[in-house]
Amino acid sequence: MVATIMTNKKVLFDPKSLKFLTAVSSAEYSKPTLKMGALIASVFDASHGVVYVGERASEFHGSSVNLTRQNLDNWNIIHPGLEVLEWALQELKTLSPDNEELAKIQFNPDHVYEEDGRVRVILPDDKGCRIELVLREGELVDQLRKEIQLEGYDLAIIGGSQNKRHLAHSILQYLPSSIFVLQKFNPRKKYKLLLLVDDSTATGKTIEWGALIAEKLGWPVRTLTVSKTKRFGAGYQGAADKAKAYFDSRGIEVEQFFLTGDPVRTFVEFAGDNHFVIMGASTLNPVKQFLFGSKPIKTLEQTDVPILIVR
Amino acid sequence: MHISADMLFWIQQKRWLLIALAIGAILYFFVPHPQSLGQDGYHILIIILMTLILILKEPIPLPAIALQLIFWQVIIGGSTANEVGGYFMNDAVFFIMGSLMLAVAIVSQGLDKRLALGIIRLTGNKTWRIVAGFTAISAILSSFVGPHMVTAMMLPVALTLIRYTSKKGQSNTGLIAALLFSIAYGATIGSIGTPSGGGRNVIMMNYWAEFGSGSLSYIEWMKMVYPMVLIEIPITTFIILKTFPPELKVLDTAVRHLSVEVAHAGKMSWKEISSLGLFAAVLYGWIALSEVYGLGSIALMGIFLYLTFGLVSWKELSRGVNWGVILLFGATISIGVQMKNTGGAAWLAEGSVNFLQNLIPNIDTLRAVVSVGLSGVLSNLLSSSATVAVVGPVVLNLGGDPILLGLASVISSAFGYFTAVAAPACTIIYSSGLVKAPDFLRAGWKMAIMSVISLALVALVWWPLFQ
Repeated sequence: MVATIMTNKKVLFDPKSLKFLTAVSSAEYSKPTLKMGALIASVFDASHGVVYVGERASEFHGSSVNLTRQNLDNWNIIHPGLEVLEWALQELKTLSPDNEELAKIQFNPDHVYEEDGRVRVILPDDKGCRIELVLREGELVDQLRKEIQLEGYDLAIIGGSQNKRHLAHSILQYLPSSIFVLQKFNPRKKYKLLLLVDDSTATGKTIEWGALIAEKLGWPVRTLTVSKTKRFGAGYQGAADKAKAYFDSRGIEVEQFFLTGDPVRTFVEFAGDNHFVIMGASTLNPVKQFLFGSKPIKTLEQTDVPILIVR
Repeated sequence: MHISADMLFWIQQKRWLLIALAIGAILYFFVPHPQSLGQDGYHILIIILMTLILILKEPIPLPAIALQLIFWQVIIGGSTANEVGGYFMNDAVFFIMGSLMLAVAIVSQGLDKRLALGIIRLTGNKTWRIVAGFTAISAILSSFVGPHMVTAMMLPVALTLIRYTSKKGQSNTGLIAALLFSIAYGATIGSIGTPSGGGRNVIMMNYWAEFGSGSLSYIEWMKMVYPMVLIEIPITTFIILKTFPPELKVLDTAVRHLSVEVAHAGKMSWKEISSLGLFAAVLYGWIALSEVYGLGSIALMGIFLYLTFGLVSWKELSRGVNWGVILLFGATISIGVQMKNTGGAAWLAEGSVNFLQNLIPNIDTLRAVVSVGLSGVLSNLLSSSATVAVVGPVVLNLGGDPILLGLASVISSAFGYFTAVAAPACTIIYSSGLVKAPDFLRAGWKMAIMSVISLALVALVWWPLFQ
């Protein structure tokens, strides 16, 4: 059985050792992102990093800005990024009222440590909570990439951006982790999981993530296989069958859909506004992706639903 | 060849470096130099073009931009290493180094609390008076000590007022912008008032001396330019209050809190008194002795005394000063001089005049337009000091009175009101996260029109009195 093959194989990832990173920009705009990040980290029992990436001042005036910031410290006025991280910590406490370890953590803007081009907030009582608060300055994708590489994060959780078209390309091509983009995410909404299944090598991980999320959040699962022609080849059919078998083996009910048409347009139309899409990262070579895009990049550009791209 | 995602990312991050190098290579290898310009002059202009792209897009660290300026001059610019090195350190660079260090030395004394108390006593608690007071104090202080130091000292005062005014659910965006822009624009308009108000002023003085274009003493500079600062202070206040109408007319609670907070500072300590005394001595030296000793040497003498009396440590200075900026100014000035020596500056100046003379037949007006236009536009993209370092040699080759054209160029390089990158004061308030990029545009165009009119007024009515 396919399910046996998947379960007998070396597990693609160990949920217990997962590390998630949520990028926040402000208390005003990042609340849903942080909420989903905290929820997902808690259901997966993953360690959770929160990173604020602020704009870096032009190097010309960098020393003037630093001088001002040092002076602001004397007035007990903290860096705007640290204010956001303080808010984030408070939110995390509110979201996990039963977490006693987390409740003990006190934010102290003086307890920060500069290392590797970033500022890390030192959390004194963080044993067992596995929370990191980090401030970075610079271009968003560059800084997220550095943070993911430095700490080995498995998943980066990012809010939907106004500048989506431009960012979709960079985020999907250059962030070396799975990526969860929370576009128009409504924490109160009941989503259906929509897994895009095809013959690519990333489908296995897509199914595994989908199964874990479905188990933890109890969301209904749909799989969608799209072929450009009316004929579904053995690879597509086989992948869909494997997915079904895997979900069955874990006791998760799954609805399967087979549609014909342009893959990206079909994904987007089918996803509508009530699905939470999970799809595998592209395996195209980087130059081709850069020049022509890829299915995940185009889907992210065109859809407005939350989307998890599994790497 | 297989290109990995890492390589592609590096290419993406450094694309402006690659573009600059590609443009430079095409111009160097495939485009012959104009007949009216020598080969060395042409190569120097290629280096400047590449450098402008690098400064504008910052794909590599600032010190690296400075280093490439140095070696390109030797490799393709027709200069020897000793020639480049000879122009590298001069009074302007000493001054920029000294003023950055002085800013660290003075800000670290905590004198801003006393300054806050003084301003509040002067203005009372009415919002418009506080905005007017911030603009005036920032402008006047900045004219002597430079905008970066003033903004570093004033920003905490404004943020403290904002903190005690903010209530949950209440939007005070107008008040916040009014307070912050009064500091940024006040410091920016003031920075033209005296030679010590900004690095660009000293760079221009250095070019005047280097090119044999004449000179202005500290007092002469003030006599010619300070009236413009005084005209601009009330108009700037008006523009800010109209553009960002404050939601609150009176800030009594915030002012009371601020007074309590700064009252904790107690009596002035010996250290604070010595620090102020030393700075007064430096200021006196700039005003009375700079013609003999230069502004830079006096600033460095001041730093020597601050270090000797233990008012600041070398560790604080070296941490607070961006040495890359100093390196870049040394390199930019050295290429500015080479631009003059190789005829590149004259060629650019002549080209600009020829290009525009059909549109503006009057040659004096044309020179003024080129000088002001070039400096004003570039300063919104680069920093104002970098603008003068690059544009200065061109402006001084336009013909006409180099002192007046140089002054016009320096003054208009302070018109960087539209973006957060142009002036240090604008960058600093932007870094607070409380004002957004569009806010600079909202007020900036009004400030630019006001400044151009003020400059025209001063140039046409006031400056002729000195000729």
